[in-house]
Amino acid sequence: MVKAPVGGAKHHKLLLPSSTALALVIALTLPSQAHAAGTRAGTTISNTATASFDNGSGTTTVDSNRVDLRVDELLDVTVASGNPSDVPTTPGATNQVLTYSVTNTGNGQEAFRLSTIANVGGDNYDPVVTQIYIDNGDGVFDASTDTLYTAGTNDPVLNPDQSVRVFVIATTPGTVTDGNRGIVTLVAAAKTGTGTPGTVFAGQGEGGGDAIVGSTGADGQDNGAFRVSAATVTLVKSASIVDPFGGSEPVPGATITYTITATVAGSGSVSGLAITDNVPADTAYVAGSITLGGSGLTDAVDADAGDYNGTRIRVGLGTVAGGQTRTVTFRTRIN
Amino acid sequence: MKIKAFVLFLAALAPAQAFAANNVALDNSVFVERVSTDAAGKERVLLEEPKVVVPGDKLVFVLNYRNAGSQPADKFVVTNPMPSAVRFAGAGNAGTLVSIDGGKAWGTLETLTVIQPDGTRRAAQPADVTHIRWAFQKPIPAGGTGKLMFRGVVK
Repeated sequence: MVKAPVGGAKHHKLLLPSSTALALVIALTLPSQAHAAGTRAGTTISNTATASFDNGSGTTTVDSNRVDLRVDELLDVTVASGNPSDVPTTPGATNQVLTYSVTNTGNGQEAFRLSTIANVGGDNYDPVVTQIYIDNGDGVFDASTDTLYTAGTNDPVLNPDQSVRVFVIATTPGTVTDGNRGIVTLVAAAKTGTGTPGTVFAGQGEGGGDAIVGSTGADGQDNGAFRVSAATVTLVKSASIVDPFGGSEPVPGATITYTITATVAGSGSVSGLAITDNVPADTAYVAGSITLGGSGLTDAVDADAGDYNGTRIRVGLGTVAGGQTRTVTFRTRIN
Repeated sequence: MKIKAFVLFLAALAPAQAFAANNVALDNSVFVERVSTDAAGKERVLLEEPKVVVPGDKLVFVLNYRNAGSQPADKFVVTNPMPSAVRFAGAGNAGTLVSIDGGKAWGTLETLTVIQPDGTRRAAQPADVTHIRWAFQKPIPAGGTGKLMFRGVVK
């Protein structure tokens, strides 16, 4: 276990009292914290070693000199999108929300300036960013409880390892079409300064030391994206006639079956879709003749989706996703 | 530049003891490894004696000892507690003893284990080290000198 000394002699000045000396054990309690982001800026790292030996008169202990190193501030920040996938939007929609988190990965308290880039390229359109909000901590955007961000006025101040959630509010241009994608980049930059790693801002670090740009360049960014999810509805109406004589002539007493097909196209869906159709003049509605997808519906306003109010039939289809069709039929008799 | 070593003057608690002199000096230096790239693109490692460091900096701790007395120093043991903001990254002398429990138990790193919260044991890692120790079996002769070193990384 014992190793021979390595290395050669050094110059030492010995200041030893000739008579008596007892070891002094110095307990150093230093304010240092171990963070994932690293030792807090301003911390002093002190090192002292102790030697004990016996030179024939009992065990003696001596301390080495103490070396103090100050920990300077590293400026580092990361930005991460909080949306696991594209956020659906529709043409012309306002107050569309993208979520990001900004994390101080440096080792000192730092303020970060936020900005957005909407024309990054690699997408189909540029969302129009209207506001940035700082989350109140609940993770959910609410303009009445979250804080509207104004650059230079309320730049978020983060401790090492602390994160803040940021909401970017945007308007989707009315000209976009189904499937279009629009990217917004959120940028967070250390207020002390940014630059190539290793750039020094003398005296501007926490605790009076220097601030040094870390591996992130003291700025970070990430993309969030909207995807336009629009849907269009096409209605096709047809009629077939059965006359009382086994033919298909529009004579009094003949029955007309109207078929209305609603086709929803696109990646989105339509909500509140309903089909209404007035019963034509000179015809009489055949009671109980409404069908939806081949199943009969009652004429009353009740639990099922269809009704007849004396002048028109109506079938509520609710929310229908793109790619689906709904077929409604009803019958009238020619007077 | 090298900082001149100094030895603390110590309070004399037993002034009657006439011949127990402190006659071993320990000189502590800390260097940081700075990697620079020269004009030819070669990486050069420079050891500098820093005043300031940042997380991730690689430190080299050097302890020079010297027996300045007239008697051999027997049972010579040098102990260096790891500064809490520094993670141990290996010793320059094979067989260096370490402690992972604040200086109670000692051994080479590969012989030590850590009890985990679930009761199982895992091999000790450099990050577990709390103290470093060199224990000499042979006395340091009068005038004898030597150098001990270990490495650490600023957490």
